[in-house]
Amino acid sequence: MTGRDEKRMVPIREKLLTEPLTPLEDVRLLGSECSECGEVNLGEVSSCQNCAGEDLAVIALSERGKLWTFTVIRNRPPGDFKGDVPLGEGLVELPEGIRVKSPLVTADNLKIGMDVNFTAYPLYRNMSGEEVIAFRFDPV
Amino acid sequence: MKEEEIVIVGVGMHQFGRFGEKSYAEIGREAVKLALQDAGIGWKSIGAAYCSTMYLPATSGARIMRPLGATGIPICDVEAACASGGVAMKQAIQGLEAGEFDIALVLGVEKMPRGFMDPLMLYARWQVEMGMSTNPSYWAMRARRHMYEYGTTELHIAKVAEKSHRNSVNNPYSMYQKPFTVEEIMNSPLVCDPIRLLEICAPNEGAAAVIMCTKEKAKQLSLKPVTVAACTHTIALYSADFRVPADSMSAKIDPPGPTERTGEIAYGAAGVGPEDIDLFEVQDTDCFCEVEIYEELGLCPVGDAAKLIDDGQTEIDGKYPVNVSGGLVCKGEPVGASHLGQVVEVVWQLRNEAGKRQVRGAKVGLAHVLGAGGNCAVTILKA
Repeated sequence: MTGRDEKRMVPIREKLLTEPLTPLEDVRLLGSECSECGEVNLGEVSSCQNCAGEDLAVIALSERGKLWTFTVIRNRPPGDFKGDVPLGEGLVELPEGIRVKSPLVTADNLKIGMDVNFTAYPLYRNMSGEEVIAFRFDPV
Repeated sequence: MKEEEIVIVGVGMHQFGRFGEKSYAEIGREAVKLALQDAGIGWKSIGAAYCSTMYLPATSGARIMRPLGATGIPICDVEAACASGGVAMKQAIQGLEAGEFDIALVLGVEKMPRGFMDPLMLYARWQVEMGMSTNPSYWAMRARRHMYEYGTTELHIAKVAEKSHRNSVNNPYSMYQKPFTVEEIMNSPLVCDPIRLLEICAPNEGAAAVIMCTKEKAKQLSLKPVTVAACTHTIALYSADFRVPADSMSAKIDPPGPTERTGEIAYGAAGVGPEDIDLFEVQDTDCFCEVEIYEELGLCPVGDAAKLIDDGQTEIDGKYPVNVSGGLVCKGEPVGASHLGQVVEVVWQLRNEAGKRQVRGAKVGLAHVLGAGGNCAVTILKA
């Protein structure tokens, strides 16, 4: 245990990450599987983005995925961006049948098809002193 | 099936670019006045007006046109991201078809801030904080995948840019009117790999206006008509386009993209296929977008866009002239004015008034825009 106090950690967006947020290594993305059409929506949602169905099962998405495509962002993204450039960004395909848009831990040596692992990590500390937990994917 | 044929009887355009202190109202009004002059009618004859804009304040259309005379006609603003112009035209067309008014004016106008658009307008806070808020990155990821699946290369994207920059030299309404070599383009800085600076358009300012009425009315007034054969708008299906605000895509299903769907509906309404179109003005917010649009509008099979480029088929004298105006990459993108600007260009082409940009014998033209939220509009005009 790293000694992080769970009460002082918050997810960067509600209904996106599994709870509890400690230990961080066990955190995963949430998905909502639609019982009508089988599509897996990102996060916990009340309505299926594909078929508008309302009978959805909340699941934890896998840790391991494959890089389906990527880019390297060279100029600082606009607004309150908490990281640095160059920034790798990709679409990661997970076995549950969803491709998630995500930052990547590196901008170097990226290849379509490479294995990547989901990582939850503290991106910044907010005004209330809480650590805001975001996510990225890291080449294996 | 509609009873009446709707025609365009007047067009006007204010150059696209950056105009410092010149207000959006002045820019917009200029386009309106040019369109009225072109049609040979006065503001009093307009029965309704629509203003396509994404970033201007509330009731901009009405306030822009008020100094022309407060005739009390209905005027409203229309917004659907990059498709705003097409949707505004569609409102006017539907009103004309219903007999609500005789003559309608549609203005597209924008005055954009420099650089990236304000991200919180389109993205959620968490996406901004994590850096997933740059418009070019989704185009770039699409390009990378296309290169992986079909062997398209960075050189193909650069060739499209070279063609558009070369075309823009003949377009006084374009922001940039300067040719670049393929080498200069390939050496311009990477913005989001593999897309480079000289392959991306700039958000800027401009306006374009069209005046429409029924074919019967045009005959009555002895006005020269260009027929609106189709004016279509759709929003992308689930997982069919991963422009903002998509945060994920399906790996299970692959529905047709918005350009393919909207194009199909428009071709059907106009009773034509891609081989019947004499020129295309399409959404090239970056030059890779144009590459994929060749495929999605049916100019070639999926995956074969590179060959079309290598064979020069989208040049002004090719089988499918695309963006003879220089496209958005040279004109810039004043969002609300984009589609109207394309339509005005097509009207000039069909009237044989496009000067050095003229596509010989142009009789049918297509205008296409695609943007945030998968908003897509396609308009087909016939001489």
